[in-house]
Amino acid sequence: MNPLRGGNAGGGDAIRVRDPSPELRDVVVTGVGTLGAFGAGREALAAGLRAGVPQLSPVERPPGYHRTHSARTAALVTERNLARWVPPAAARRMGLPSRFAVAASMMAVEDAGLSREHVTPEIAARGAVFLGTAFGAALFSEQLLTEIFRDPEQASPFRFAESVANAPTAQVALALGITGANVTLTLREASPLAAIAGAAREIALGRADWALAGGVEEISPLLHAALDRFRALARPHGSGPETARPLDARRDGFVAAEGATVLLLESAERAAERGATVRARVRGAIQATDPTAPATSWGCGVDELAEALAAGLARHRVLPEEIGLVVSGASGARRGDLLEGQVLRAGWEGAELPPVTAPKGATGEYGGFIAGAAVLAMEQGLVAAPRWFEEEDEGVGINPAAALDGRPDRTVLVSTLAAAGAAAWLLLDPA
Amino acid sequence: MVFRPAPGAREDAVNPPEQRPSRPIVVVTGTGAVTGFGWGVVPLFEALARGERAFRTIARFDHARHRTHLAAEVPAAGRPAALAGLPHADAFALFAAEEALDAAGLARQGLGIDVGIFFASSTGNMVEAERFFAQLTATGGRRARAGLLASQPCSGPAEAIARRTGAAGPSETVSAACASGSMSVARALDALRLGECEVALAGGSDSLCQLTYGGFNALRAVDPVMTRPFREGREGLSMGEGAGVLVLETLEHAEARGATPLAILAGAGVSCDASHMTAPHPEGAGAVRAMRDALADAGLHPEEIDFVNLHGTGTPLNDEAEWAALVTVFGARARQIPVASTKALIGHLLGSAGAVEAVVTIGALREGSLHPTPGGGPPAEPPSPRTPVRIGLGAPLAVPGARFALSVNFGFGGANAALVFERPGEGA
Repeated sequence: MNPLRGGNAGGGDAIRVRDPSPELRDVVVTGVGTLGAFGAGREALAAGLRAGVPQLSPVERPPGYHRTHSARTAALVTERNLARWVPPAAARRMGLPSRFAVAASMMAVEDAGLSREHVTPEIAARGAVFLGTAFGAALFSEQLLTEIFRDPEQASPFRFAESVANAPTAQVALALGITGANVTLTLREASPLAAIAGAAREIALGRADWALAGGVEEISPLLHAALDRFRALARPHGSGPETARPLDARRDGFVAAEGATVLLLESAERAAERGATVRARVRGAIQATDPTAPATSWGCGVDELAEALAAGLARHRVLPEEIGLVVSGASGARRGDLLEGQVLRAGWEGAELPPVTAPKGATGEYGGFIAGAAVLAMEQGLVAAPRWFEEEDEGVGINPAAALDGRPDRTVLVSTLAAAGAAAWLLLDPA
Repeated sequence: MVFRPAPGAREDAVNPPEQRPSRPIVVVTGTGAVTGFGWGVVPLFEALARGERAFRTIARFDHARHRTHLAAEVPAAGRPAALAGLPHADAFALFAAEEALDAAGLARQGLGIDVGIFFASSTGNMVEAERFFAQLTATGGRRARAGLLASQPCSGPAEAIARRTGAAGPSETVSAACASGSMSVARALDALRLGECEVALAGGSDSLCQLTYGGFNALRAVDPVMTRPFREGREGLSMGEGAGVLVLETLEHAEARGATPLAILAGAGVSCDASHMTAPHPEGAGAVRAMRDALADAGLHPEEIDFVNLHGTGTPLNDEAEWAALVTVFGARARQIPVASTKALIGHLLGSAGAVEAVVTIGALREGSLHPTPGGGPPAEPPSPRTPVRIGLGAPLAVPGARFALSVNFGFGGANAALVFERPGEGA
């Protein structure tokens, strides 16, 4: 019974295709900015993907935060000199996530062949900012709470202003004077792709001509400890480093990563007018939810997610066999990777999957690096070296690709299934 | 797909019908709310009509060392047993969602991939996270219950609704401070127009917590007496908590299943001041853009708006900026157009403010009556000469025959959002 139709829907096995608006504009990617444990910029990300494993740093362990045998490391941003992208005077008024977001945004602007000076008030008025974050400003929230618990009258108003989840998005707008939509989305691991989808929609509908979109995250000791308490993180084995093993049978969690990745999106018309290098074309986005997911893990809603993916592909007029690469959000999470494999295989209905890459094995989880990796895959035919992968998981049923035979010449599916149920897929076409 | 020009569109509208893309009409078929007046839309509307205020001494946490001591907390009485033990913001969201689904004549469960959730929250289930943090610091981690963090992210309430209802369509949570709730409704409008889903649960939920209470006090943005929007001598906002949910669907979908629209969601606009992290643009530039974009989206001229549900926080800076924006958008009519600040009665619900105020706006359109905006002083205390809006002081303002209403919200980081609702005429 379809509860929306009082039982009169008749079910129907065929996928219903809703008409997309005939008025949508084409949207392209012309810039990538990224900052992570691998360093700053697209070449640093490329090097990180080639390395196949993230640069790990020890996480501070205040008394009582972590359990005895907990994860000890994370892929932390070690580059603290961001003055090239964030003026020191402005940086002093920002928390870490805001600095990450502004730095990555300015990199994306530069990568698109633009500069701060190009963003005149008229251009800024036609811009938008969409960023996704799973947990927001973790460190400032913790510090603010500490101050309030100690003495509310001594709480820092600056810290409060920077503790809100939308602070990085707002700081990007402030840095460039962008007065269009300023939207912060929180869908846990699916946040960056949903943000990119939102920005693309804003341009496609003609409400903006360009947008900065992506993800940002910081990993504070408390957040790290909390993720570990929920057994989300890869565990140390002996004296060896914690290793995320996406899609591998031995995986036992992901590596938490901080940083930011921002894409510069613009209308294809605007990009052509200014002679910009198009790095990828945004074909569409699909979003769904697994309502079987518990609050702290992944669910088992394979049928719902596969149905939503198939319906979304149909809505964007893409057949599964037209997809040349899957950039998977598999992170090493036990249940998350299993669900990812099951949904992809269900979506292809038993047919052979295209090559699948899992960049989070090289970058860690969070920070939107998957979006940067997808663009690099399209531009350079580069995929993360799956050095972690040794043993296929029959339940997952996917071996990550070690290399591609050139750049993908067909649609690329970027996939992220989040803990607690949200799912976001992005469809990118070659330039 | 059904298309007809936005009802009431004028040829001299900001964005005339012939320049707008074809798109379906989106209607509201159900509403739900949880506020300081209790669990449900009815207690909210009844209290608003009487001009009551929901502020009481805080019971949620020890407020003794805070600078102020009042908030509009959701009363424990009336909370369904089925929601016992859930984090506050999740419980508010679930109640409001189920009330809205009931009002829309939809099932509460098994909703499937045709139903999307577009939600908003500024802090998720932070109050439970604060309990964890207190345990952590008090016991050195030995007795800190990590389960208190399970639903802490801002996305927690939306996830709770998906789990309870089985909604498997798109789900996202906007966290754009105090503009979040209006933005989530705007996002749902897009989703329905673009065919991403057939039904949308749009709304927001936030619970009173020390982080925001202490934070706004640190900014000296809380009125120690009680919020007095647009009054002389106002000193700030008063905090509230709760949730609001709208069931949205295309008119075609509603008609096909025999549902009666409560209102048409005619347009939406969002913008950013790009001016200051916590203060509004002094001339309300971003607010002006959001309102004008919403009017353009609806194909309306400002003269066609019959009343405005204000952001109306009662902070000195907000009310000045909002008045400036009203003057820019409505011209001389800014002094005459009926307005109200729901926050004067239920407090500032932060991420859910826009959603609850959308519910209130729809109710006012249907009733032809706009609730009063009581101040801190005598009932006849007039609005400030510097912000001479037309608000109901001690009694509701009659807005008989009102057809179009604007609901606006602005937030930290300069985020702004505006929504245009229309009372359905015959045949809609």
